[in-house]
Amino acid sequence: MARTLFDKVWDSHTVVDGEGGPDLLYVDRHLVHEVTSPQAFEGLRLAGRRVRRPDLTVATVDHNIPTTRRGLPIIDQTSRVQISTLESNCRQFGVTLFGMDSPHQGIVHVIGPQLGITLPGSTIVCGDSHTSTHGAFGAFALGIGTSEVEHVLATQTIWLEKPRPYLVTMDGRPGHMVTAKDLILYLIREIGTGGGAGYVFEYAGEAVRAMSMEQRMTICNMSIEGGARAGMVAPDDTTYGYLRGRRYVPDDFEEMVDVWRGTLHSDPGAKFAKSHTVRADAVAPQVSWGTNPGMTCDITESVPHPDEYSRGDPDRERGARRALEYMDLEPGTQMADIRVDRVFIGSCTNARLEDLVQAAEVAKLGRVADGVRAMVVPGSQTVKEEAEGRGLHDVFIRAGFEWRNSGCSMCLGMNPDILEPGQRCASTSNRNFEGRQGAGGRTHLLSPAMAAAAALTGRLTDVREMA
Amino acid sequence: MTVDCPAGRAIKYERDNIDTDVIIPGQYLKIHDYSELATHAMEGMDPSFHSKGGSYIVAGRNFGCGSSREHAPIALAESGIRAVLALSFARIFYRNSVDGAFLLPIEIGPDAYSGISDGDDISVDIDGGTLTDHTTSKSYAIKPFPGIIRRIIDSGGLFGYDPE
Repeated sequence: MARTLFDKVWDSHTVVDGEGGPDLLYVDRHLVHEVTSPQAFEGLRLAGRRVRRPDLTVATVDHNIPTTRRGLPIIDQTSRVQISTLESNCRQFGVTLFGMDSPHQGIVHVIGPQLGITLPGSTIVCGDSHTSTHGAFGAFALGIGTSEVEHVLATQTIWLEKPRPYLVTMDGRPGHMVTAKDLILYLIREIGTGGGAGYVFEYAGEAVRAMSMEQRMTICNMSIEGGARAGMVAPDDTTYGYLRGRRYVPDDFEEMVDVWRGTLHSDPGAKFAKSHTVRADAVAPQVSWGTNPGMTCDITESVPHPDEYSRGDPDRERGARRALEYMDLEPGTQMADIRVDRVFIGSCTNARLEDLVQAAEVAKLGRVADGVRAMVVPGSQTVKEEAEGRGLHDVFIRAGFEWRNSGCSMCLGMNPDILEPGQRCASTSNRNFEGRQGAGGRTHLLSPAMAAAAALTGRLTDVREMA
Repeated sequence: MTVDCPAGRAIKYERDNIDTDVIIPGQYLKIHDYSELATHAMEGMDPSFHSKGGSYIVAGRNFGCGSSREHAPIALAESGIRAVLALSFARIFYRNSVDGAFLLPIEIGPDAYSGISDGDDISVDIDGGTLTDHTTSKSYAIKPFPGIIRRIIDSGGLFGYDPE
């Protein structure tokens, strides 16, 4: 029978067939960070269990570490405790940790691919919703909660209800300065934040095939914002080329590539439960105006009226009204007239080398506007090193951006990088929920190039007018 | 966790997409003490949440979307919430709620969502599949838990669950 890529990865990892109920799946890679793991390790200790496969488990610190100079003590006591707890848990249970002092430290979803831990056709879990990022390699990768983290640590398996495959086709080629971030924001705007609930996206089409791995990671990363359990891209030469030679790829990588080439794609005629097509060539740079990623429009548009956004649904209208109140925006205001206080270029969505290259191309055209504070936070220490090797840090620093060490930083308001109440931020991160970047903070999601443009002009800006 | 849902006050949020960042903001994810965590539940969205003394939350679609933080159901449960009754749930929140035996995520229909008002006294009969609003004396059907979810609930969470 013709099967989708997702079906194949699922079937090949099924340990117990739940016969219509949930299946027990084998987990190939388990990524761990400091925030969602302490109770899981504590659970193991209390039950007298060990980590079943420490060799398939990798940890790093990213969520609450400061991104200022390394080597200084962490001032926030609760953060310090959470980080030292992970360090002692990794020592006790024999798990490899890329800690604060490691050159490989970084955001968990940046370092997994970078180190070659993420492989095509594998199953990957992490106590973090943006684990969907790894699906860019043709893996089935999903975020789980702490109870499930403990279950995977103890058994290397997970009980899952099988989601249904959903084909997202991105046809055509995006225009000048239109990026993967714009395409995924556009998709979520079209299908809504719950549009993918119960599904796994497979991204296909000309635009996706033409994307680099870093761009594919950006779209897979935000699959969860469209409600999907995961997102996947069938691996191809771009995938294999990216992985070849990376630190943890297996010795028999080339033989595996031969196998993957023959299997890791959706068969002709494979059935998808749902499908949606995006005309990539018709998408403009996107920017969010509301408090979820689906509340997004073109940079050339104006803030929508709630009744127009509602599509006749009173719940959508209420949501839009509340969002505009929180965001302190008036319907009809041109998006490009909205002033910003802060700019954040970073996060597991958009802090890889290509993202920083794109932002630097814009940053070199001017200086950060008066009254705006802008920061660039590389996704990993390796990305930072590579960027510095190309002189990007000089471009940013000369233009007035802060150049930081890697971490989740201002994406999620749980480390020192946060917005003040009422501050408005142009952000390359993935969520614009109320209070996400700090209590009372207001977030506009956009691409790295668009964020850099906003930094220079002090307002949301159509980057196509600048570069 | 118990499937027992005795009469208690419903807090109603007529809102879709209530995300994990408003349920428990990121800055509190470092707190390991559950009762302290609970004091910050719903802080940004509803500062009067705790004074309402609710046992149930009634909400719209896609409740719990966003982060995988298990702190979200924990913070609600430790605040006295026995069940969230919503039109639909985000998957990770849904599983977190039952895996750790924190609270019951119950799917309701549009009739119950529009019929129940904030502050109503409600109870749920899980086995009977009904939700009763004692304030209005109306009953509604609830969507049954899928087989495995019910078994995890009956097992007191994921670690009590034995497929045999």
